[in-house]
Amino acid sequence: MSSIELTNLTKRFGDLVAVKDLDLSIKDREFVALLGPSGCGKTTTMNMIAGIEAPSGGSVCFDTRDITHTSMGKRGVGFVFQNYAIFIHMSVYKNLAFGLEVAGTPRAEIDRQVADMAKLMRLTRQINWPAERLSVNELQRLAIGRSAIIKPNIFLLDEPLSNLDAAFRAEMRTELKHLQHELQQTMVYVTHDQLEAMSMADRIAVMDLGVLQQYGSPLDVYNRPTNRFVANFIGAPSMNLLDCRIVGENGATKLDFGEAGSLTPGNDDPLTQICQRAQQDRVVFGFRPEDVKLEPDGGGGLSMKVTFVERIGPRSIIHLEGPGHEVKAVGDNQIPARIGDIMRVGSGGLSHLFDADTGRRVE
Amino acid sequence: MTTSTTTVTGAPELSLAQQGVKLGRWMTLPTQLLLVFIFAFPGAMIIYVSMSWWGPLDGVPWYYAYESLNWFDNYAELLEDERFWGSMWRTFIIMIVVVPVEFFLGLGLAILFVDNFALKRVFYSVLLMPMMVVPAVAGYMFYILFQSNGPINQLLSLITGYEIDLVWLSDPDNAFIAIMVADIWQWTPLMFLILLAGLLGVPEDQLKAATLLGANWAQKFWRIALPKMRIVMVIALVIRAVEAFKLFDVMYVMTKGGPGVATETISVYIYKVTFLELEWSYVSAIGFAVLMFLTALGGIGIAILANAQKKKRLADVVD
Repeated sequence: MSSIELTNLTKRFGDLVAVKDLDLSIKDREFVALLGPSGCGKTTTMNMIAGIEAPSGGSVCFDTRDITHTSMGKRGVGFVFQNYAIFIHMSVYKNLAFGLEVAGTPRAEIDRQVADMAKLMRLTRQINWPAERLSVNELQRLAIGRSAIIKPNIFLLDEPLSNLDAAFRAEMRTELKHLQHELQQTMVYVTHDQLEAMSMADRIAVMDLGVLQQYGSPLDVYNRPTNRFVANFIGAPSMNLLDCRIVGENGATKLDFGEAGSLTPGNDDPLTQICQRAQQDRVVFGFRPEDVKLEPDGGGGLSMKVTFVERIGPRSIIHLEGPGHEVKAVGDNQIPARIGDIMRVGSGGLSHLFDADTGRRVE
Repeated sequence: MTTSTTTVTGAPELSLAQQGVKLGRWMTLPTQLLLVFIFAFPGAMIIYVSMSWWGPLDGVPWYYAYESLNWFDNYAELLEDERFWGSMWRTFIIMIVVVPVEFFLGLGLAILFVDNFALKRVFYSVLLMPMMVVPAVAGYMFYILFQSNGPINQLLSLITGYEIDLVWLSDPDNAFIAIMVADIWQWTPLMFLILLAGLLGVPEDQLKAATLLGANWAQKFWRIALPKMRIVMVIALVIRAVEAFKLFDVMYVMTKGGPGVATETISVYIYKVTFLELEWSYVSAIGFAVLMFLTALGGIGIAILANAQKKKRLADVVD
């Protein structure tokens, strides 16, 4: 049983600040994903939890134990490397048994545990193969099994699915979640793939440029992004973010998008109150492509021209362009849109406002 | 113009691959000719001369050696030549002592140099220096060091507190030791260099993974690093073992093979027979015999490597 508490964690490489004043608390048996684009500091954070990298400042605690200066071999964490770091000169058995052998576990016990783990990881048939003969998918399972066999309280995974083919990746997502449930461990999972983070994690920590942007449940991060970066990063295709001004006119509030037109939220729309509470008039209006309402020209909303239609099986992604603005809309595959059509764009669902200068959520 | 399936020259059209092979043969021809001149021709010449009594004082060029053809008399003589076997034995002893000592010293140093420490680059350069020294100069250096009133004896006196004036180079046993010390000094750096390269080639991620699985230093070394260095180790050992047979310059400067024949190695013996006794046909026989021996030695090394590969492949088949 282990919780993880990161306090003011900082890592500098020369002039570069890879992680800056990171505070993060991970509960016992929680599955947390560190999500962000490459170079955001997520792997560095993970390495500091594992002890591979020493922090430049701040502390790492497991439960209440400060292990900031404990060497990586003594922290008792399981770690799955992005490239798996399998001992390719050994057999599958030897790989699985490694952690037990170096700890001096009796042979009979090792045999039993290795057999169990091989079964769980579906490697029983390959148990005596040299590890270098395994496929990438099998290597991945072996990497997880090898770390899991020593029953670490904390399990760290560094983009473990990024080398896999798409079909197997989907399968592994379910399997990993199931495994975590079975092993009853605290898991920290580094990924740049928001789909992996959304589908597996209990909570997601979104990072950018070494700074924690938001920490919350997948739905929380999706529905209430705290800033422009999170709004843009979560969701595919990403959220439409349009610069606009809040204009008060005859007691009514509307959002002015320049030549493209304007949107007037209804009186019962929470957006109206948000607009009235906003400290400044220059804001960014955000709404998801799935919530875009498209109507033929002539109605309300923003006037935009269809520039491209992506038909991806069950859904279509419509690219629209208006004066100074671009919008993507997702609709069903029957949507009657052709390149060159002029359409009226509005938001039919949850909308968000962000401060144009700071990028922070306005509410 | 008529199209015809038979061409005038009658040469069949070559496929692209065949053309490539043909071109390749032509392009490697200069190298192959060079190999003939630097290896096949002298080799054949030595075998030819070794089967005669021909010598430089006979007054006829070497290709008239057939006039004194004696087939295998030189080889028969070789089998009974005590100086030959003595020098072979001494060379072998030097190899048996010097190569393992250099190996373990080199390995120890290489392990120290994997991690970073202050002034690592300086130590690194200093450590490689002996290898760069011209062997004859190194020989002269040790010749001075091992004089009876030289620095080695002075140092030993200082450490032990007794007056030590060991005779090094004129004593049969001590001269042997002095020569080995000189060789170890000069060639441990090469071992160090090769083994360090091998150690640095061990994937860092696997070492980290082993650490995270709870392995200590020794376990990581034996289970991860060593298996991955096996090939590099065999290469280093074979190179130095073969080179031990070539040991000449250092010891010739230090002892000239003396006192008597106490430090006469095979190279020094060949030199003496060639230039002092001028028995060139006999030298050819010795040279050929040594070549065969070293080929066998190299063969054993390659066999060890091949065996390791085969084991791996066998393991692949078992499934």
